[in-house]
Amino acid sequence: MTNPEPPPDRLEILQGTLDMMILRTLQWGPQHGHGIGVAIRSSSDDILQIERGSLYPALHRLEKQGWVEADWKLTENKQRAKYYRLTRAGKKQLAVEESRWNRFVDAVARVMRPA
Amino acid sequence: MPWPPRIFRRSKDEDELDEELRFDLAEETRLRIERGESPEEAAAGSRRDLGNLTVLREDARRAWGWTSLERLLLDLRYACRTLRHSPTFTAAAVGTLGLGIGICCFLFSWLNGLVLQPLPGARDPRGLWGLQASVSYPEFESYRDETGVTSSMSAFLGPAAFSVGVEPGSEPERIFGHLISPDYFSTVGVEPLLGRFFDAETERPGAEPAVVVSERFWRTRLGADPHAAGRELRINGRPATLLGVAREGFVGVFPINPADIFLPLSADPSIAPELADGFLTDRNRKDLHLVFRLAPGVTEAQAEAALEVLRRRWNDEGGELDPNQNKRARKAALTPAGGIGPWPREFSLGSISFFGLLMALILSFTCANLAGLTLARGAARGREIAIRLSLGAGRWRIVRQLLTESVLLALTGGALGLATAWAMLKLVLRSVGQLGSFPPPLEVTPDWNVALLTFAVAALAGAGFGLTPALAATRTDVASALKKVPGDGLRRKRWYGLRNVFMVYQLTAAMTLVIMMAFLVAGIRSGGDGNPGVDVAGLSVFSLDPARDGLPPDEAAAALAGLPERLRLQEGVEAAALAHPRLFQSFATPDANVTVPVHGTSAAGEPDPAEAPHRVALRAIGPGLFAAMGAPMLRGTEFSERELRSERPSDMATPAILNHTAAEELFGDADPLGKAIRQDERVYEVVGVVQYGAPAVFSEKAAPLMLQPLTMSDLRRTPAMGLTVLVRGRGGILPADLPGRVERIDGRLTVFRATSFADQLAQMTQAVQSTTAIYGSVGLFALILACVGLAGLTAQAALRRRKEIGIRVALGARVSQVMSLVMHEGAAMILAGGVFGALGALAISRFLASINEQYAQVLASGVEPSHLLAGPLALFAVAAAACYLPARRAAQADPLDSLREE
Repeated sequence: MTNPEPPPDRLEILQGTLDMMILRTLQWGPQHGHGIGVAIRSSSDDILQIERGSLYPALHRLEKQGWVEADWKLTENKQRAKYYRLTRAGKKQLAVEESRWNRFVDAVARVMRPA
Repeated sequence: MPWPPRIFRRSKDEDELDEELRFDLAEETRLRIERGESPEEAAAGSRRDLGNLTVLREDARRAWGWTSLERLLLDLRYACRTLRHSPTFTAAAVGTLGLGIGICCFLFSWLNGLVLQPLPGARDPRGLWGLQASVSYPEFESYRDETGVTSSMSAFLGPAAFSVGVEPGSEPERIFGHLISPDYFSTVGVEPLLGRFFDAETERPGAEPAVVVSERFWRTRLGADPHAAGRELRINGRPATLLGVAREGFVGVFPINPADIFLPLSADPSIAPELADGFLTDRNRKDLHLVFRLAPGVTEAQAEAALEVLRRRWNDEGGELDPNQNKRARKAALTPAGGIGPWPREFSLGSISFFGLLMALILSFTCANLAGLTLARGAARGREIAIRLSLGAGRWRIVRQLLTESVLLALTGGALGLATAWAMLKLVLRSVGQLGSFPPPLEVTPDWNVALLTFAVAALAGAGFGLTPALAATRTDVASALKKVPGDGLRRKRWYGLRNVFMVYQLTAAMTLVIMMAFLVAGIRSGGDGNPGVDVAGLSVFSLDPARDGLPPDEAAAALAGLPERLRLQEGVEAAALAHPRLFQSFATPDANVTVPVHGTSAAGEPDPAEAPHRVALRAIGPGLFAAMGAPMLRGTEFSERELRSERPSDMATPAILNHTAAEELFGDADPLGKAIRQDERVYEVVGVVQYGAPAVFSEKAAPLMLQPLTMSDLRRTPAMGLTVLVRGRGGILPADLPGRVERIDGRLTVFRATSFADQLAQMTQAVQSTTAIYGSVGLFALILACVGLAGLTAQAALRRRKEIGIRVALGARVSQVMSLVMHEGAAMILAGGVFGALGALAISRFLASINEQYAQVLASGVEPSHLLAGPLALFAVAAAACYLPARRAAQADPLDSLREE
């Protein structure tokens, strides 16, 4: 089984940035896995293409590291879903990753468009 | 799946992930329907966008931080399942490994227990040396005091039997021990566990009798009494004080014949009959074994040279130095004394090489067989692996899975191997003779080191034969492997070639093993049932040791000498006679160098250089022995009562009886009667020739035997095994009746080891039989394994070519033509293996002969070649059958079936 080629205007996300984006999304409040995926897609105007499935291992990894916590709650449609919530450590981690990301973007920008 | 037990956290993680994914799918589908997609489209799209579930789950598992144990359990579970689904392969692999490892473990345990193991209880056992030849007491003193090459030297006489009573009035028990010189314990480096050892006072001649015992005697016979030192024991009917207990594990030097009681050589002959008649001053009684340590800075060669000088002086003083005597046997050769037995270095080296080679051969053979099996299986599993790869399994994950399977197989095989080794050791240990109440401290149970080594080898073998096929299998091009039939294509061809190499190696190793084992088995079996030519009906034997029953030497000798006559007077006894117990040892080891003086009976004078030395076994017997046994005198007569009643040494020539082999070796066709034979300074005159002796191992002939009469001095100093009495009854006499009959004749005598002659023979040949069984099973194992491998390979080849065969048969090829097509390859391999194997066996035996004289003798002995042909012929026949059956099945298959397959 092979995946269909992604549309040319969509971008595969960089390894490691997914965690950051998940943490960022959770800043707005607890959310379940599917909601997080929808949020990332919509806030990137559908440019970022992520396989929904790949969110879950990432979420479990973050949970294991203590950056998010999870509870089973009922959604508005009365379905059971696992809601993830940012922890204090997760907030710190987000700050760290954000600043690292900014430095990375700056550096790449300087290389691509030298002033 | 109930096994392995699910781990709680893992199952919760897995369930949660499943529920999340279900929710995700439902939610996505709902959203898509809201956006206007049809329910079917929505469900499919939702599923598609979720991605590869296998990869996802593996990722998630990694995120959960699965311990390697959990992953291992999963792999193990899968391995168990796949192995269960191919029971033939599993049985073949586990059986192969189990037997291979079992035999290796057995051989190693045996080698370790007998040769590699150091002397238990000693300090720095590698620094202990002895001399190959035994010496007399005056000789020992001169070696100790005059050479200066040793830092400490001691000597011991043993094993010597003692009748030991623990409580006054209790039944005494026969315990073996050593009669030791001063410094015995300090030379060996043994500390007392309790009490003390001998000192100048207790070793003074005429001192109160004192003994030291082993720790196991103290533990089992004295109840580990902490106040045992100073207790009184009864030794050979005399009271003696227990001085001390030796450190745990120490049961004397050369514990293959263990010593559990120690007395000083200065002890009174009444308590130690071996010392009667002035042993300490008699230069002709060379019964002492030396144990010493070299002085600092002295090399082995220097020590040997210094001892050789003294030895020559002693031999010169004793009369002539025969230049024609076997120089090699007569030299003062240092022998390691820190081992289990008095093994010369050559023996140890020979054993290590022989067992090492055998083990290497068997292990590599086993691994080659397994590699072939796994390769074949890997090829057959190409499709399964391709499917798993395409479903998202990582390559490393599959390699690890396959490796787990191999290691699981190896460990199961290893466990089976340990069980096999244990069973084999049990079988062989049963046949190891036990002299006294205590067994030799042979560590030949598979100990932990051996077990660990076995498992290490098994695991390594597992990884080794698992890895290559595993890597090869995962290098599969997914698409082509899915499309193709297993066994097609060029890539397979290459692996098939490697399999052929393994197969030829297996056949080679099998042939080598079969030839070597056939040689050993034929050689050992040539001894027949071990009967030296005796009519066993109604024949019983028992042992007596009057000196240990507390009789003074003269009374002991008189009681023994008169006993056969008095037994003969009893109702139902046809004949009775005395013999030295060594006559009945299972191997008549030559122990004397004799020469035939060239000039007839002119015994005196210088030995002629032309006199060729012969080696014979010299044994002592009483009058009427051969008549009692039913062995016919070919010429001359037996010894008479007069010789039994005489004293030794006499200046007259000693009468001697030769067995038929010795007569032929010494005199050829000439009449030996009245001829002279010289042994050192003694001269014998042949009075008779007897037809007696079982064929020796590795020989079709009986060992050469020379018999001298037992004399009163022999009866005064009975050997450690006691003296043997043979009784032929006229029906109705049972061995169990004998103690009562002797009691009625002389109440002071205690009969031991009473048994029928047939039972004694069976007991002696048991060692030979179990050795034969072991070597035979090694050969059989090689034979079966090679054939199973060959059958599998041929079947595989037939399977690989079944399309081709189908077409050929459809086009009108005859069954025989198709079969020759398939068998062609197998026959070539059998032939190649046969030739290489024969060359290998030849090379190995040459090599062994070059490092060890014993092996050289065995090889030169020339076993009947027809015996040797049986092994290879069997291999050829069974291998051909193993090749024929699958070929026939392939040829007879319906061509339509094979062609219809995709």
